[in-house]
Amino acid sequence: MTSMHVENVNKSFGNNHVLKNISLSVQSGEFVSVLGPSGCGKTTLLKLIAGLEMQDSGHVYIGGACCDNVPARKRGAVIVFQDFALFPHMTVKQNIDFGLAVKKISRSERERKIMAMLDVMQISDKAEFYPRALSGGQKQRVALARACVLEPRVLLLDEPFSNLDPGLRDDMREFVSKLQRELGITTILVTHDKEEAFMLSGRVAVIIDGCLQQYDTPENIYKKPHTVLVSDFIGEANYISGMISNYHFSCALGDFDAAELVDGEAKLMLRYDQLIISNSKGMPCRIISKVYKGNVTTYRVEIEKSETLGLPEALTLKINSSDSSFEPGHKAFIRVADRAGHVLR
Amino acid sequence: MLLGPFFLIMGIIFVGGLIQALVQSLGYLPAFGMDSVSLEYYRRVLTDFRFISSLRHTFYIALTSSALSVALGVFVAFLVHKTKRSNKFSFTLLRVPIVIPHIVVIIMIFHIFFQTGILSRFAFAIGLIESAHDFPLLIFDRGGVGVIIVYLYKQIPFVMLMVISISRNIDSKYFQVAENLGASPFQIMTRITLPLLAPTILSAFLFCFAFGFGAFEVPFLLGSPARQTLPILAFIEYTSPVLDDRPAAMAINVIISVISLIMIWVYAKVLSILTKRGMEGAIV
Ligand SMILES: Nc1ncnc2c1ncn2[C@@H]1O[C@H](COP(=O)(O)OP(=O)(O)OP(=O)(O)O)[C@@H](O)[C@H]1O
Ligand SMILES: [Mg+2]
Repeated sequence: MTSMHVENVNKSFGNNHVLKNISLSVQSGEFVSVLGPSGCGKTTLLKLIAGLEMQDSGHVYIGGACCDNVPARKRGAVIVFQDFALFPHMTVKQNIDFGLAVKKISRSERERKIMAMLDVMQISDKAEFYPRALSGGQKQRVALARACVLEPRVLLLDEPFSNLDPGLRDDMREFVSKLQRELGITTILVTHDKEEAFMLSGRVAVIIDGCLQQYDTPENIYKKPHTVLVSDFIGEANYISGMISNYHFSCALGDFDAAELVDGEAKLMLRYDQLIISNSKGMPCRIISKVYKGNVTTYRVEIEKSETLGLPEALTLKINSSDSSFEPGHKAFIRVADRAGHVLR
Repeated sequence: MLLGPFFLIMGIIFVGGLIQALVQSLGYLPAFGMDSVSLEYYRRVLTDFRFISSLRHTFYIALTSSALSVALGVFVAFLVHKTKRSNKFSFTLLRVPIVIPHIVVIIMIFHIFFQTGILSRFAFAIGLIESAHDFPLLIFDRGGVGVIIVYLYKQIPFVMLMVISISRNIDSKYFQVAENLGASPFQIMTRITLPLLAPTILSAFLFCFAFGFGAFEVPFLLGSPARQTLPILAFIEYTSPVLDDRPAAMAINVIISVISLIMIWVYAKVLSILTKRGMEGAIV
């Protein structure tokens, strides 16, 4: 079992400062996701960890030992690439065998491991196929098998599901999640898909503009983002202006705890599903529009301006509700869900 | 879709020439008053000791020169690739030997390697040999060394250019994956690069072989008078004052063509096997 750390890592390509002072710790056997928009340097980070690229400054530690000077082929950090990159001139079996063969492991041992891996990945019947005769999901399992058969110290997954169609994607996510737990391999998955990151990992590192914005549990990232940048990237939300004084934030929707922030202007973040619309409880409002999406309906509502509530202008909010019975033009009431509401700057 | 007319024209010229040669090889030359058709000339050619030894010599020259060209070309291409100094300039430099006409190369090689050539004089000057006759016979020799040197001079750069430009097109991701899975640079070369280049190397080999097999001027000017390649044999028969030799020359030409066609067939066969293995990405 192996932990992994990167410490103050910087990487530029020419004038393009891709990774800025990134520090990240992954514990032994942990499954961590790195989440960020396309082009934010996710693949580059994995290549740095694997040793396929060299950082400009900072250090990479695997199993507690600094491996800045360890060549890629000896690091034991294996990447499953975005497009799988199976060797086209080798059969499925030969592909899986590649990493074992170059290590000069005995033939019988290799054979045993390959068979076991083919079995785990449920591709035993494809052993003699060439990659081009495989479907996307099968290719992915071969790529995973090729990496896992080496029992890597750290497994690096580069958007492994983005090339699969939705149905297959869910199956493969579950499959990988189960596999990771069974094998107990320290795993880092990079993705731009927040659902995927939340679903699969215990902790998520959000990288935007080359900086590590927040490294936290999925729930905290979703409900308690540190910045509007992270909040916006994760999902849509209402932002309501207000003031903090004495660790308390107050705005038109009420008072909220702001224990970690100093006094001054701030914003309350409410996800669309953290507001509740009803016929009776809360603040009166008027429904402006309604978008029916099947399992949820998104309403846009307006709270009239009111000096007593501290609303110099009308406030527009968006709400997701499973109740689709409200109609535009009608009156309704809204309230903040229990324990919801997060104050940020 | 301009390929259609292109192949049509090429086909007419090739098939037309071949039919003409075929007809004449069967002994049908009405212009010379020969109008009986028979396989007599093939029998004569195929049982002729000169033909058999010439065939063997031609194969020897073609095989040796193409195998050496490919081996050295690939090897040097890898070295060049390694040093990463294969810039535009060296690329242009590589093209020079390819565009120089054979005849110029022949004269160059002659001046350098002949017994009275530059190398010989140099060896004499530093006291390695006592007279020009002590210098090994590299031109007009029975081993065809002079001929092979000319081919190497032209073909090694050709193979290099092909290999370098194709290996640039191989997705560099494969090399990264291989390294990531623990392969050493040597293992990457033998297990990834060479297999992916196999179709290219095969094409290059065949091209060199076909040239060495069918070329006329190089063995004609630098080869041993005692060891003639097939095209020269055909030429000698063709220009012979004996009328009867004309169909024999044509029979030799037909045999050369048939051998070439067989080679193309083998090439296509091997290529299709490689393609089945999913290596089409690297095919020229
Ligand atoms: N070898 C390279 N040379 C120059 N620039 C590079 C190189 N590799 C990556 N970059 C640049 O670094 C930035 C980050 O690239 P990277 O591939 O790490 O992004 P990513 O987050 O993986 O994106 P995606 O989600 O699209 O895969 C991009 O702007 C890219 O153009
Ligand atoms: Mg990427």
